[in-house]
Amino acid sequence: MALVATLIFIALLGRLCQLQILEGEHYTRRAERNFINEMIVEAPRGRVFASGSEVLATNRPAYTLYVTPIPRVTVESEDPKAPPVGARVPLDDAQIEELAELIDFVDQDDRDAFFVKIADRRADELNGKYPLAVRSNLSWEEYARIETRREALGEWVEIRESARRYYPKGELVAFLTGYVGEITPKGLSQSAGAYRLGDRVGKTGIERQWENYLRGRLGRSSRVVDVHGRAVPEPPPDALAALPPIEDPIPGQDIHLTIDLELQKIASDAFEGKPAGAVVAIEPQTGRILAMVSVPSIDPNRWQQPIPRADYQEWSESPYKPFIDRTVQEHFFPGSTYKVVSALAALDDPTFDPEREVVCDGFVKYGGRKFKCTHKHGPVNLHQAIVESCNVYFYTLAIEDVLSLERQEIFARRTGLGERTGLGLNSETKGIIPTEAFEAREGTYQRGVQLNSAIGQGNVTATVLQVAVLYGAIANGGQVMTPYLVDRIETHDRKLVFASTPQVRRDLAAIVPADRRRIHQALIGVVNDPLGTAYSERLPNITVAGKTGTAEVGTEISRRRRKKKDEELENPDWDTTEDHAWFASYAPAENPRIAVAAFVEHGGVGADAAAPIAMKLIEYYLSRTEDPSSAPIRPSGVAPPLPGQRALDSAPAGPQGPRLGQLGGPR
Amino acid sequence: MRQLGGPKTRLGRLFGAIDWVVVTLVGVIVALAIINLNSASGSAWSGKIQTQIRWISIGAVAAAIVAAFDYRFLYRMAYPAYAFGVGLLALVPLVGIMRNEARRWLGVGDYQFQPSELMKVLLLLALARYLHDHGGAERKRSRLRRLLIPTCLVGLPVSLIIVQPDLSTSIICILLTMSLLAVGELSVREMLGIGITGLVTMVLGWGFFMLDYQRSRIDVWLNPEAYADNEGYQTIQAMIAVGDGSFFGRGVGQGTQNALHFLPYRDTDFPFAVFAEEWGYLGTSMVLLMFLCLVMWCLNIASQARDRFSALLCVGIAALFFWHILINVGMVLQLLPVTGVTLPFFSLGGSNALTMMIGVGVLLSVSRSRERRS
Repeated sequence: MALVATLIFIALLGRLCQLQILEGEHYTRRAERNFINEMIVEAPRGRVFASGSEVLATNRPAYTLYVTPIPRVTVESEDPKAPPVGARVPLDDAQIEELAELIDFVDQDDRDAFFVKIADRRADELNGKYPLAVRSNLSWEEYARIETRREALGEWVEIRESARRYYPKGELVAFLTGYVGEITPKGLSQSAGAYRLGDRVGKTGIERQWENYLRGRLGRSSRVVDVHGRAVPEPPPDALAALPPIEDPIPGQDIHLTIDLELQKIASDAFEGKPAGAVVAIEPQTGRILAMVSVPSIDPNRWQQPIPRADYQEWSESPYKPFIDRTVQEHFFPGSTYKVVSALAALDDPTFDPEREVVCDGFVKYGGRKFKCTHKHGPVNLHQAIVESCNVYFYTLAIEDVLSLERQEIFARRTGLGERTGLGLNSETKGIIPTEAFEAREGTYQRGVQLNSAIGQGNVTATVLQVAVLYGAIANGGQVMTPYLVDRIETHDRKLVFASTPQVRRDLAAIVPADRRRIHQALIGVVNDPLGTAYSERLPNITVAGKTGTAEVGTEISRRRRKKKDEELENPDWDTTEDHAWFASYAPAENPRIAVAAFVEHGGVGADAAAPIAMKLIEYYLSRTEDPSSAPIRPSGVAPPLPGQRALDSAPAGPQGPRLGQLGGPR
Repeated sequence: MRQLGGPKTRLGRLFGAIDWVVVTLVGVIVALAIINLNSASGSAWSGKIQTQIRWISIGAVAAAIVAAFDYRFLYRMAYPAYAFGVGLLALVPLVGIMRNEARRWLGVGDYQFQPSELMKVLLLLALARYLHDHGGAERKRSRLRRLLIPTCLVGLPVSLIIVQPDLSTSIICILLTMSLLAVGELSVREMLGIGITGLVTMVLGWGFFMLDYQRSRIDVWLNPEAYADNEGYQTIQAMIAVGDGSFFGRGVGQGTQNALHFLPYRDTDFPFAVFAEEWGYLGTSMVLLMFLCLVMWCLNIASQARDRFSALLCVGIAALFFWHILINVGMVLQLLPVTGVTLPFFSLGGSNALTMMIGVGVLLSVSRSRERRS
């Protein structure tokens, strides 16, 4: 008997020896796996600033709701029918329902998606054991409601602190900053492990373009948790010692934009009453983008919350296309603003005499079709044709093959049209510059196309940004700059990472200066000559050079729209049969410091709709650095001299005294 | 009967009458158990611990009273006590306190008591007396009749206990009976026969009669990792706790499995796992050896007993300790399936502590009048 007892005790001691001494290490590791909770620490995303250090995108503390769909029972129950401690019991629908009651869903779809998300994860036996972020950016009310009910709900509900993106300026810079959103499954699979499910990435704008700079690097930390998954305030020292080392996250880098926020605001306000359009202002010498507005836009903060289906549907069905950045994503007929390209092309032909006058009868017949002009201009030369925006003049050049498609194309490409400007923002489109091959492919080639192309119709399209860059090139003497939006990038502790330098993309310097001067004079005439199309919009004390454009919308489309309009005349501001209004300009003409391209979709006549917008920008921008009242008021109708030409011809037009632009650095 | 050269004073006689080996062993074990229980309940010196100390104190008083009686008084009281115990058990279904859907408790207010625990000792008394009166191989009676009365003696309380339901206490009662019969009544051949019958019954029961949940319990025991997200969790966590202790242990109150509550049922089913984690192999081997000493000392007292009754009683007490230790520690070390059998003194539970202390009292009583062999 004693022997049996002794033998059995020896067996127990042997088993203890096996577990504690021989396999002790193994079980110590397993114990560590129990209590070590390793956490990924999100790096604060880099911020985005305007040129005056105004914050455009920053981070705010937020709360994210996590749910473990197959939680473990950790509380010893009095009820013997209850599952034993340690059992994993999937949530039932009533529990999810109970949680859902505490959340403000925007609509039924949102609520359904919430349930589906949890149910999907619950069906996944492997991952269902781990917490899943089911809702981010909880509102304060939601947070409070869930937190007070958390004990009652159970340990499967957890709220963790996180950060949300906040855009203080909202709609004003919506297309520039872009917004962040949850990574798509496709993006996740392409990221090669760089991202995790539920990570937020830049979807559009700067957020997307500079994602790698803004993102920062994740850190790691760990803590001691108890069986309920809660952090232990005073863990055993052995447990603390077993924690892996902490890696601090590296914050994302801050991006400073070239955007002048005040100017941006003026530009945005100028679109009041105009439902759709865009304006881009750049610094001609450098290509810095000073303002870039596309209306309408959607407040990027909206994307940080679930969006009701009704709202989303309204946006996607809206004729104003609020998702589209009209500065770069959409291309339009440039209309008469394209005439500077035609003029450059024509001047390249040695047989062309710019002083030769063409009589405008209001139309020209060609190939059995009638090509119309705005009105009868009478005899016009190149200068007058640009100033008064005479189509017939350019039609005639096209008919005479001075403006062949080929030559037009060469100059369009030289001035940066038909290719991306290199800004790299919001999937920029190229626009179209037709060639004979292109027309043949499209099946639209007729000789008439050449005529339409010459006035920026037909198949010629350009983005607003391209037009701004084009006028910037004319303003700065022929250098097509690469526009840029990012001034510099700094680390969170203000070390410079990257600084933009102006880059010349194409140089038009080969063009005879006399030709350029001729066009420049004509553009000044548009605004300052009483016959000029934008004469009514001239500024009292700033010489603006510019060109209006009124791009006709395809008649077929407009007829269809017209029919539709009769049925539902819902928006008097938005007549889709109206032409697109353009105004491209630079100022001061003597020493340009700003180039502006304004575009109003279906805005009507360029001078009426688009020119005031551009003028507001110019007036504000120039008045900010210099007092406009100190500049002499130039007698209207007299063209100012060209930059650098003042000393040569002492024309009466040459204003005396300090001039605008002189202080900005004469070239 | 005073021995020559023995102590002369009353106090000296009292000192001489106490079996200091038992008192020391039980004292050390109880002290370790209290420290361990405190650690298992969050080192908070909570109400649980105080209740447990209260019960152990009551048990110590009861042990002193029992030890004060001559064992012959216990002999006389064996059957009445047994009847009293069965009476209490019979009361349980009528006025018992329902807890966790089981009716095991009698009592008022804070003092609740499981008669089934007390029954373990009372059953030992009755069996010892019966086997003393009618046992012995020299009596020529049929094997069946010899076993009939003990079977009835154990069958009555066990049937009352099993309906509570309390399977583990029933098993302990049956094991105690078997142990006493093995010592006092059966030959080796008969024991083998019973053993084989038992095995066959188990196998058949496994095949045909066992309920699904009981069968799954065996499955869990054999392969806990497969049930890690269900019943296997407790077994695995207990093993981790034991292994995590390594040789020196984590220190009292410092075991992560215990302090961070990964180990469930720390104070009832798995106090030994808590102890193993915090005291290491050093501690566990020490405690097991002390338990072994206690059991061996019981057998030593039995071997020196004056008569069959007291010898059987001591063997019964030894068996009481032995089976509890084996089943509980075996469960913690995954040598046996999970049952609710407690570890003497270590597990939280008033009735159990009281019963064990009464057992110690019986031991002391018998020890007092044994024939010392020098």
